[in-house]
Amino acid sequence: MEGDKRFRELIDRSFAEEISEGERQLIRDHIRDCDGCKHYVELTARTIRGLREFTFVSGADSNAQVREILARHTETMRQHNVQFKVWAAFAVALSMSIVGSALVYQMAKLLTVPTHFDTAQVQAGVLVFWLLPSFCSALCLLAAPGENRGIA
Amino acid sequence: MSALPMTLNTTAETETAKIARGLRERDMELLADLVERCQHRLVRYLLYLTGRREYAEDLAQETWIRVLQRGSQYNGRQRFDPWLFAIARNLAIDYLRKNRKAVQTVSLPDDHDAVLLLPSSGPSPFEAAARSQDAMHLAGRLQILAPLYREALLLRFQEDMSLPEIAQVVGAPVTTVSSRIYRGLAALRSAFEEGDSHGG
Repeated sequence: MEGDKRFRELIDRSFAEEISEGERQLIRDHIRDCDGCKHYVELTARTIRGLREFTFVSGADSNAQVREILARHTETMRQHNVQFKVWAAFAVALSMSIVGSALVYQMAKLLTVPTHFDTAQVQAGVLVFWLLPSFCSALCLLAAPGENRGIA
Repeated sequence: MSALPMTLNTTAETETAKIARGLRERDMELLADLVERCQHRLVRYLLYLTGRREYAEDLAQETWIRVLQRGSQYNGRQRFDPWLFAIARNLAIDYLRKNRKAVQTVSLPDDHDAVLLLPSSGPSPFEAAARSQDAMHLAGRLQILAPLYREALLLRFQEDMSLPEIAQVVGAPVTTVSSRIYRGLAALRSAFEEGDSHGG
């Protein structure tokens, strides 16, 4: 009986995983003389054959439905991605326009004495010719047409 | 003699690398192709895991969305199918944990607990799918068999996955996987043994 148990474990292994040719021959030799183990091999083979005889019919439109869902999700993810990029560009443009304006203002202030300009005139110049245009450019990124638009 | 396996191996690598690249780039054509190839088997796997048709279809859709979102995590070094099934498995387990009312916990001999969906009132999906007398014989057993055994049997004998691939899907050692296969086979084999003894 102990021998049969060992053989049956080997038989199970032969169905589930790779065994050596020597082990296969051992099984063949054994089942030639052992009806119990021969029956065991037949039952196991029948069980595995039975397992392969299940046919699950998936819904006719199942694949199409999945493809449609994926297409929708891809579009949503793409839009999120574009929005993120535009907002990031806006943030960079805004901070650059503020930093740039501060630098230009400092430089223009240095030039007020030699050019005989008032501080107020310099401020107005920086505002009109630097800060406003760069701020508008940053806003344009958000209001870009079509898929480049950042505002939902 | 050794040239053929090497060629096959290279082809397989190219195929998985192509899938990995397509998933990273969210290539819809590739995804559609993967759906065509794998959806049917994915639903079948989830059916074996949950025992319920209605959950299997929903979970399969969720799985594909996850593939789309996390496609860049597939490295292309292993086959795609085990990676896909592992995602489906995690989703199914999460689902079963969230829906505790619909499940019961069963203890398995290999020191694992398994969550099992309570059977629905209609005919089992296994009975509906049985295409032979023997399959019909096994259907009842499959319905009450712990899902961990059911999935091991499916992955080995229907998906023809190797033991290491199954281990990758289920996140367990190869020895545990083979023990589940043997126990599952023993449980199903007993259906025929009983049939034979009743028959005479």
